[in-house]
Amino acid sequence: MFLSLIKKQVKLFLRSPSELLLLLAMPVGLILILSFALGSIWDGNSEFKKIEVAVVQHNDEVGQMEEFLNTLSKRIPVNDLMVQNIEEMLPVSTLLNQVLGNPEAQEFITVTQLEVNELELARNNGKYNAIIEIPEGFTVDYLSSLFLEDEEDIPSFQVYLNESEQTTSVILQNILDYYQYQYSLFSQLGKNQLFTEEISVPTLDLTSEIRTVASKEHITSSTYYTFSMSVMFILFLASTIASQAYLEKDSHIFDRILLAQVHPLVYLASIVVSTIILTMLQIGILFLFSYYVFKIPFTNLLLYLLITFMVSLVIGGISALLSSLNYRSNSATASNLFSNAFVAILALLGGSFFNISGLSPVLAEIGLWTPNGAALEGYLRLIQDGTISSIQQILLNLGILAFVFILLAFLLFPKRGGLA
Amino acid sequence: MAKSMLEVVNLSKVYKKNKAVDQVNFYIEPGEIVGLLGPNGAGKSTTIAMISTLISPSAGDVLLQNHNVIKDPTKLREILGVVPQEIALYGDFTARENLEFFGSVHKMPKKLLKERIEVVLKQIGLEHEHKKLVKHYSGGMKRRLNIGVALLHEPQYLIMDEPTVGIDPQSRNHILETVKQLNQEMKTAIIYTSHYMEEVEYLCNRIYIMDKGRIIASGTKEEIKSILSSEKIIVVKFNRHSNSLIKELMDQPLLSNVSVKESEVSFTVAKDTNFLPLLMNLCDQYKVVLNSFQVEEPTLEDVFLHLTGRALRN
Repeated sequence: MFLSLIKKQVKLFLRSPSELLLLLAMPVGLILILSFALGSIWDGNSEFKKIEVAVVQHNDEVGQMEEFLNTLSKRIPVNDLMVQNIEEMLPVSTLLNQVLGNPEAQEFITVTQLEVNELELARNNGKYNAIIEIPEGFTVDYLSSLFLEDEEDIPSFQVYLNESEQTTSVILQNILDYYQYQYSLFSQLGKNQLFTEEISVPTLDLTSEIRTVASKEHITSSTYYTFSMSVMFILFLASTIASQAYLEKDSHIFDRILLAQVHPLVYLASIVVSTIILTMLQIGILFLFSYYVFKIPFTNLLLYLLITFMVSLVIGGISALLSSLNYRSNSATASNLFSNAFVAILALLGGSFFNISGLSPVLAEIGLWTPNGAALEGYLRLIQDGTISSIQQILLNLGILAFVFILLAFLLFPKRGGLA
Repeated sequence: MAKSMLEVVNLSKVYKKNKAVDQVNFYIEPGEIVGLLGPNGAGKSTTIAMISTLISPSAGDVLLQNHNVIKDPTKLREILGVVPQEIALYGDFTARENLEFFGSVHKMPKKLLKERIEVVLKQIGLEHEHKKLVKHYSGGMKRRLNIGVALLHEPQYLIMDEPTVGIDPQSRNHILETVKQLNQEMKTAIIYTSHYMEEVEYLCNRIYIMDKGRIIASGTKEEIKSILSSEKIIVVKFNRHSNSLIKELMDQPLLSNVSVKESEVSFTVAKDTNFLPLLMNLCDQYKVVLNSFQVEEPTLEDVFLHLTGRALRN
């Protein structure tokens, strides 16, 4: 008989397209939208427009190196090792190949080489975020300042930044400052006659990797929103089941159930159990979706199952409590109020829209006493390789919430049927 | 088969200051069909909710062979079927799924339930429509299934609360025949509430008339109609409608319960009164021609009108 009540509830739910749309299609849609819309900001790899850099060279650098080597060979003997080292410290090649052209930088910088006569047009049309103009004889002057004692001046190149795009300007400025630093360093070394023919110039090897401060696994937007939307939409399930339960009273189906010698509290228990099953099913489907679409790794499945069960128990309790209040007030006011107002408040406090724990420690603590907030925190700890001990407090919070809701529901549920 | 008498003693229900049911006394013998007749808001539904142990009375008892079912409803619930006025069914289930669900909450063994579902589907005439979702049924089909659910566990007592509200005449006839058949073949005792006096008159052995929470008359059809045995009902038709004539009829001390229904005017007079000279005089006075008149037996409707001064269906 108890099984029939649960079977009935699950069947009714699965045959209700509008409920399925609200409880499954909507969170899936929101997970997709939020993950893609906020993903780049959240994940720190913003897909902003690539930085366009134009380079205008007045002379060919290889030709200049040969010109310099001719001058140098007249003063000192030049061997192969020296030529090789000089080749490696050619400033324009270094800029183009190692600074702007390294694989990391290529992901967000596009370099275009322009002819000298194209410079004016490029400066006017604003197509490029930056234009680097290498003046005539730059490489010869640079190498001379390093190796020839009578050459004092360190040459400079011109950079035009497009100031209307501030972010990209700042990024480029930083890159070029770094390059400038390296370049000045070599110059100073040369001035102090620290270069010898044996010296080898290390290549610039720029790599970067995003790491969290605590060296934990990085949480992507899709991971966060999979958890936050799932735990938010299970709240709607509680009010949906409570509304369905009220309909059973309103249409006197509940009276029929009572007349079949089913105790009212057994009926209420069936609401708790069927809500637990449906909540676990809902979370399972949403997680499965994210597992396949976003490749979210659910390692330690048992711990996920444990949190899911505990939060489902709380939702079961809420559903039963709302049913009790609906039955007492002879209307669906309690469940309507919950879905129209309380879910939004709980979603906000629980961090379903954004992580509010950073705003204040009090808010963070309150969030952990909401079913969605506690579950979200638990899932986030698990995805960062959490263990059972790291989610102990979460499980305790959920257990207390479930106990309180279920107790209140059982105390408040009317013990007889009657007219709606 | 019903063995025990179901008895209601001084049953009352008070909601805040409103007395919905006031000192109702009532009984039903095994195998009887008893009618509970009254207008909407008379307290019929509250009375049957108390009899079926769904709400607690403010005062009074419901006894099943002297066993107080208010304190311990188990015995009554085992042998009771209730057909509520509302369609107490799942619209997203088929007829068979509804019957399976309610049978299983009654803890009926699977084999028996399967057999009973076939029998009940035939009884209510839905054996060919059982695969359709109930939400796609007509009003009459839903009403029939609403009855069918209450019959699954073969109750000895069946309470039917306005089972024919809002359905087509064909479905209504089917339901009335099903009720009659149940009583005759299965000897099911039935409490039938309605505000359609012709249904109650057709089905019931004994009738209770309720108004404003009280039983105002009870007995067999004949006993109730005998309340009006010293009077007769006259129905007349004139060639045209005259408000002045109607007003004059209403002012006549010999006539009572004057009412107008389309082209007909009916009134009650004492059995021995010769009302014709008076009627002819009034026709002459208001230049109206009397086309026809007939003397009718009083109906339950007339009795209700006589007792309360109001029609059953206001």
